[in-house]
Amino acid sequence: MIRITGLSHRILDIPDLALDARHIAVIGPNGSGKTTLLSVCSGIEEPDEGTVRLLGRPPSAVKVGWVGEFPDRTLLFSRVYDEIASTPRFRHCPCRETDERLRAAAERVGIPHLIERTVTALSGGEKALVALAAASADDPEVFILDEADSHLDAGTAERLRAVVEASTAAHVLWCTQSMDTAAGADYLLFMEGGAVRHHGTPEEVFARLEETCFYPTLWRVRR
Amino acid sequence: MKVALEDISFSRGPFTLRGSGTFDAGVHLISGPVGSGKSTLALLLAGLLRPGGGAIRRDGVSSALLLLQFPEHHITSPTVAEEVRSWGLAPDDVLARANLSARANDDPFHLSRGELKRLTLACTFMRNPDLLMLDEPFSSLDCTAKRMTCRMIEERDAGITIIFSHERAVLPRVDTIWEMEGGTLTALGSVPGAISRWRHAPPYLAYALEQGARPENIRLSDAQEALCRTQG
Repeated sequence: MIRITGLSHRILDIPDLALDARHIAVIGPNGSGKTTLLSVCSGIEEPDEGTVRLLGRPPSAVKVGWVGEFPDRTLLFSRVYDEIASTPRFRHCPCRETDERLRAAAERVGIPHLIERTVTALSGGEKALVALAAASADDPEVFILDEADSHLDAGTAERLRAVVEASTAAHVLWCTQSMDTAAGADYLLFMEGGAVRHHGTPEEVFARLEETCFYPTLWRVRR
Repeated sequence: MKVALEDISFSRGPFTLRGSGTFDAGVHLISGPVGSGKSTLALLLAGLLRPGGGAIRRDGVSSALLLLQFPEHHITSPTVAEEVRSWGLAPDDVLARANLSARANDDPFHLSRGELKRLTLACTFMRNPDLLMLDEPFSSLDCTAKRMTCRMIEERDAGITIIFSHERAVLPRVDTIWEMEGGTLTALGSVPGAISRWRHAPPYLAYALEQGARPENIRLSDAQEALCRTQG
């Protein structure tokens, strides 16, 4: 369970929220607080007030796999090998286990051919896949993806979804600007002005958003 | 006014890009998977890379501008207003257009991702070059800002606009469609004829085609109208 109580942080104001679903999509306009919410849930930021608990623990005590929108801002190493290896290395894994984990992660994400490349030689989408491989290299308990699909084509976005789906993570919290993608989540949060304006199943939430552009295109044409 | 690719080739490591074709005045959409070479082609068209073989000829193009995929790569100044001035533009007009007037004195890196993209888009369109290349102009934007970007593209009444994008929900009216796959550029031709040949068509468009509808263009509204016509 993801439990948020009395949260007040920058523009965020979320009095009480309990999420049981596995795949939780966060949608809403630019600047509505989606990234801030994800930062607080991942432990990247400490909230000014209130608490966040993942699986009953503070985020800092949970293995969180984070994938951001701009991989250039999170990639630390010049070689793809070192980037993916950084996750097990930071956890002081032995060399052999690190090597096995990074190769398994690259395999899962479908980028074993990129392992020996330098990060600067990759396309934007390939960098996103490297970031995903690095995030998944130590089997995170919770996956948090911040518009990680924003720079991906349909095939690559589907690969990302499949990797996350097949992971052992108890929760997947991801924000996206693709309403067609969000329609496939178990649960939706629609944020506006720092608040969770609507939450529920995709059917429930999109029913409230039908007059806006925050509505799946496939639902529009199939009616 | 036109830009012609004459059997160009460009190689980097194991990757080779090849393409031929002519971009006339109008709006051209180049779609294709990640890593297929869209951004490299944008850099070649912008003259920031030189093809290893063949030639790129511009005819009647007196100004050209490339909007980069990641907006932070454009940033050179410590405040939003100075950033706009670095484009040779007056901050007031641009910031009003980008809906960022209140942020003039902020550090550009304190803007949200969508705000930063709106800023670089507004600067690009205000410069109004003859040849405008937009590398993933819709990524990072919410659907409202995507619609605004589509309007800016559609309202450009002259010049060549080339959009490199994998956007699957909010698209502008376009004149031609191209596909990039494995480094090879293929011209699908003019819309609407090209739509049925478009393998990367967004889901709503693919659905409309499956239903036997013949959309006149590639927007969601075109798919909806075409479906209404087939369903009577």
